Amino acid sequence: MPAEELGPLPAGRHGYSREQVAHHQRERLIAALAAAVAEKGYAAVTLADIVREAKVSRRVFYANFESKEECFLAAFEVVVDHLRVLVGEAVEGIEGWSQRAIAATRAVLRFLAAEPDLARLCLLESRGAGPAVNARFNEAVSELAPLLAKGRAERPAAEHRLPDSTEDSTLGALVSLLHRKVAAGEAAQLEELLPECAELVLLPYLGPAEAARLAREAT
Amino acid sequence: MFGNVLQFRYRLRTNGNWRYPGLVRALPGKASRQPPGPEPVSRDAAAADQRRRILRATAELIATQGYQETTMEEIVRRAKVGYATFYKHYADREAAFLALLDAALGRTVARVEDAYKREEGPWADRVGAALGVLFAEVAAHPEVARVCLVEAVAAGSGPAARHEAALKRLAPLLRPGRELNPRQAELPDSLEETLAGGVVWVLGQRLIAGEAGKLRGLFPETLEFVLRPYVGEDEAAREAGEVAEAISA
Repeated sequence: MPAEELGPLPAGRHGYSREQVAHHQRERLIAALAAAVAEKGYAAVTLADIVREAKVSRRVFYANFESKEECFLAAFEVVVDHLRVLVGEAVEGIEGWSQRAIAATRAVLRFLAAEPDLARLCLLESRGAGPAVNARFNEAVSELAPLLAKGRAERPAAEHRLPDSTEDSTLGALVSLLHRKVAAGEAAQLEELLPECAELVLLPYLGPAEAARLAREAT
Repeated sequence: MFGNVLQFRYRLRTNGNWRYPGLVRALPGKASRQPPGPEPVSRDAAAADQRRRILRATAELIATQGYQETTMEEIVRRAKVGYATFYKHYADREAAFLALLDAALGRTVARVEDAYKREEGPWADRVGAALGVLFAEVAAHPEVARVCLVEAVAAGSGPAARHEAALKRLAPLLRPGRELNPRQAELPDSLEETLAGGVVWVLGQRLIAGEAGKLRGLFPETLEFVLRPYVGEDEAAREAGEVAEAISA
């Protein structure tokens, strides 16, 4: 998120429309919340921190969000939307499910490693940010299940049918792996986990030998 | 005259010794604040009963409305204790929550470990026995399970650390599976915790969806999931199939 571009608008006549100003303020509030959460953790962040950082008034905050939680939800949503775009770009033009899965995994890990504060916000702080955020987190993770499930087509038809919960358990394992890395303060090194993540993703669909080979190649 | 009556009642309640009332009378299940009843209850037993009631109330409230939304007032009202009694046992709401997690996670992990130790078959059977006990515990106590597996993660660093520590204790049960994998040297160090994380995630999702009653079908599937990285697809599916058959029989 280009926080440096989100300074206050120039004072006086600036020629921006009312909509442009409102959008800009909303973006600034979201960036300010992300910065404040990175600095002191979600629980300790106050409304005062957010409006001070965003250089807007409380009135402007309440015009955009009902609460700190809603503002956090918006920040979470911005990151998830951005990841969706990155993944879309990363898999464009790539042939074959396994290579697309690896490319998508790489794109997610690379972004989170480059933005460790946002990785923390999404994977760690989101857990303690209230029921709405938690539900949204679970939804965002579950959104990936159909993408994994496409790997089922890679299996020979004669093979035993994979359990329905395969995608869920795989995603849970990935979340747990990333969560522990971020909790250990190593968000910036998330990209190191690419082979491990890739192998987890590919294993049920391609079998251990092929999954391990492709995961090794992915580094 | 009224003084005498009061003294008499007090004597009754304290088993006669009213300077050092080591014993109080109370109804079973409703401890020291209750009127005189048939069963004498020792102070320790009364205190244990109070703690049990506080933890049960805490679990029920957190399971239905989450930790953040659960207030002290609701806990003491539901537990039928006074604030003073609460504070005698726990420093605050979080302390009660942590005590609850320690008790529930400790008991469950101990039972899971025990099932693993008692099964004498090959490693995959032992993991099956252990996982079976975990699923049975979750199915038998869905509210407490939800508190431990879902709410604890969302309730700040203290409770989340308890949750992580319990996951760590499950890792040694899976680790011997490495011997069965020809590529064991290449397996990542964190594989066991990652798999345990996957199991807990799936269980949590089912609890959130209110599907604690449908865990039987999930058990063989999850067994297949944790065995697969060690013994490969065919063996994992065979083991899961055996378990599925045993359940439906």
